Amino acid sequence: MTTALPDLTLLGMTLHSLRRQPLRTLLTSLGVAVGVVAIVAFGSIARGLWASTNASLKFNQGDLMVFQRGVSADVFSTLDEARIRDALLSDPAVERVVPSLWQVMPIRPAPFCFVMGLQPEDLALHRSKLIEGRMPESGDEAVIGTVAAKMLGIGLDQEIRISSTRVKVVGAFQTDVVFFNSAVILPLRTLQRICLKKGLVTNFQVALKSDADLEAACRRIETNVPEVVAIASADQYKRVDQGLEIANGLVGVIAFLSVVIGGVIVMNTMWMSVHERTREIGVLRALGWPRRRIVRMILIEASGVGLLAWIIGSCMGIGLAEIATRLPFARQFVDPVYDWQPPAMAFAVSVVLSMLGGAAPAWRAARISPVEALRYE
Amino acid sequence: MSEPASSAAREASLAVRAEALVKLYEGGRVRALDGLSLEVRAGAFVAICGPSGCGKSTLLNILAAIDRPDAGQIAVAGQDLLKLSNGDLDVFRACQVGLIFQLHNLLPNLTALQNVQVPMMTLPPDGGSRAARAAHLLARVGLGDRLHALPTALSGGERQRVAIARSLANRPRLLLADEPTGALDSRNGDMLIALLEDVRREYGMTLVLVTHDARLAERAERIVHMKDGRTVDAG
Repeated sequence: MTTALPDLTLLGMTLHSLRRQPLRTLLTSLGVAVGVVAIVAFGSIARGLWASTNASLKFNQGDLMVFQRGVSADVFSTLDEARIRDALLSDPAVERVVPSLWQVMPIRPAPFCFVMGLQPEDLALHRSKLIEGRMPESGDEAVIGTVAAKMLGIGLDQEIRISSTRVKVVGAFQTDVVFFNSAVILPLRTLQRICLKKGLVTNFQVALKSDADLEAACRRIETNVPEVVAIASADQYKRVDQGLEIANGLVGVIAFLSVVIGGVIVMNTMWMSVHERTREIGVLRALGWPRRRIVRMILIEASGVGLLAWIIGSCMGIGLAEIATRLPFARQFVDPVYDWQPPAMAFAVSVVLSMLGGAAPAWRAARISPVEALRYE
Repeated sequence: MSEPASSAAREASLAVRAEALVKLYEGGRVRALDGLSLEVRAGAFVAICGPSGCGKSTLLNILAAIDRPDAGQIAVAGQDLLKLSNGDLDVFRACQVGLIFQLHNLLPNLTALQNVQVPMMTLPPDGGSRAARAAHLLARVGLGDRLHALPTALSGGERQRVAIARSLANRPRLLLADEPTGALDSRNGDMLIALLEDVRREYGMTLVLVTHDARLAERAERIVHMKDGRTVDAG
C-alpha cells in the first residue's frame, strides 16, 4: 500500500523555515511574548478588578451606590449619615438604604487593611457568605474575610487590634468581591467611634423598588442631593475612583510598548533571516516566484513568530496573574478573570506587530535582484 | 513560400534569438556582453564555451530572464523579453525556462521532493498532485528512493540530479545549465550530461549548456565559443 505524498504549501515552507532555526524562533517569540504576558496578566487582573467593582455595587443587595461628589478615591468619600439617608429615603423609588463606612487602617502584622462598618441589621444580609462562625452581635465583635484572615494570621475567637480597640473575630466570610475578602467588617458604630467619624459614613447602597427605573432614579438622586453621585455600574466608577481607569490605562500603555519593542525584535530577526537567505530568495525569484509571494512568505513567517509568542505569552501571563494572587500584598486586590478579552487583545497585538515587524524585511526580500542574490555568498 | 511566412516559420523554429546584446557593469567600464548575437534552433543542444569572465553566465542570465541587457534584442521561445513586464517575466521564468546552477541551489530545509515542487507552486493547481509529479521526476533522474532526503544527506551528484528534476517541474521549453558539472568529479559529470541529453530528447526541449570543459562541450550538437562578450565562432 502506498501513502499519498503531501503537496508542499507556502505555509509548510514557512514552518520549515521557522523550524530550521528553532532557538532563534523561540528567542524571538519570547521577545514578543513579553508584551503578551503583560497584556494577559494585567488584562486579566484589570478584568478581575472590573468584575469585583461590579459585584461590590450589589454587595448589600442594592441596585446602586451613592458617594460624595468630587472625591479622588472612594475611601475619601464622607457623607452625613442621617441627612443623606433621609434624603435618599424620600425618593419614591428607593426602598432601602445601607450606610457603610470604609477605612484603610493598619492592623498588625499588615501595614494596612480594609475595614468596613455596617449596621447590625445590614450585617445580617451577609449571613449566607459566612463560611464559619457567626455574625457580630455586639460592638466588640467582627467578621473577617478569608484573604484578610490569611494575611493577618487570625482565626475564629482570636482578637485583633484596630487602633486602640480590641475586637474579637466571631466569623469568617467569602464573597465574590476580592477587596471585601481582604476586609474586616465591624458594626458601624464601633468603626465610627474608632475613626472619630461619628455620624459619618463613606457611602450608601441603595435598593430600589422592583418597578423603579434605575437610570431615572440615579438622575433624580443626583438632582435632589447635589453633593452625591449615584453609581450603578463599574464603568461609572471613575466618577469616584480612578483605580479602574488606571488599571485599564496601564494595559493600554503596556500594549503600546509591546508593539514598539516586539515590533523591533521581530524586524531585527526577520531582517537577519532575509539577509541569511538572500541566495535562497534569489533562487526562488529565478524559479519564477513573484515578489508578492516572497512578501507573503516572509509575512507568514513573521506571523508564525507572533502566533508562537501568543501561545507562550498567554500561558506565562496566566501563570504571572496566578502568582500575583499569592503575593501577600497583591492578593488583597487581585482576583484575575480569565475570559477571552485579554488573550484576544494579546493575539491581535502579537500577530499584528509581528507582521508589522516583518513588513520591512519582506519588502527588502521582494526587491532582491535574482542575479545579485545568486552571486551572494 | 512567401517571404513573411518564411520569416515567421523561421522565428517559430528558433528557441533563442539574440541580436547585438550589450550588458554593462560598473557604470559601463566593464562590457560583459559586447554586441553578442546568437540564434539557437528549437530542440537543439548547444554548448557555450569560453574562458572565465567572457560573459557566458551573463548571457545565460539574460536568456533565463533574470537579467536584462542594456542594449540589443532578445527573444526566447518566441517571446520578446524586453517587452515583458516584471510580472510577465516571473511567469516566463516559471513556465518557459528550466534553470540548473553550478551549485545546485536547493533550499536546504526542504527535502528533495519538496524542492522539486517549489517551481510548481507558481502555477495554478491543475488538479493533479504536485508531490506525485515531483516524485515521478525524481524517479526519472534516478532518485526515486531519495524523495525525503534533505540536500545535506545527498551527494553532489544527487543534488544536481534533484536540480535537474526541479528544472523540469513546469515542463519548460528551454533548459539552461550553468556549469552544472563544475562541482562534480568527471564520472558524475559525464553521468549528469548524459542525463541532461536524455531528458532533453525525452521532453523535446532546447538545452543550452554553459561550460568551460571542452570535453563536455563536444557532446553538444553545436558549440558556441565566446570571448570578451562576443561569440567568436559557431561550430
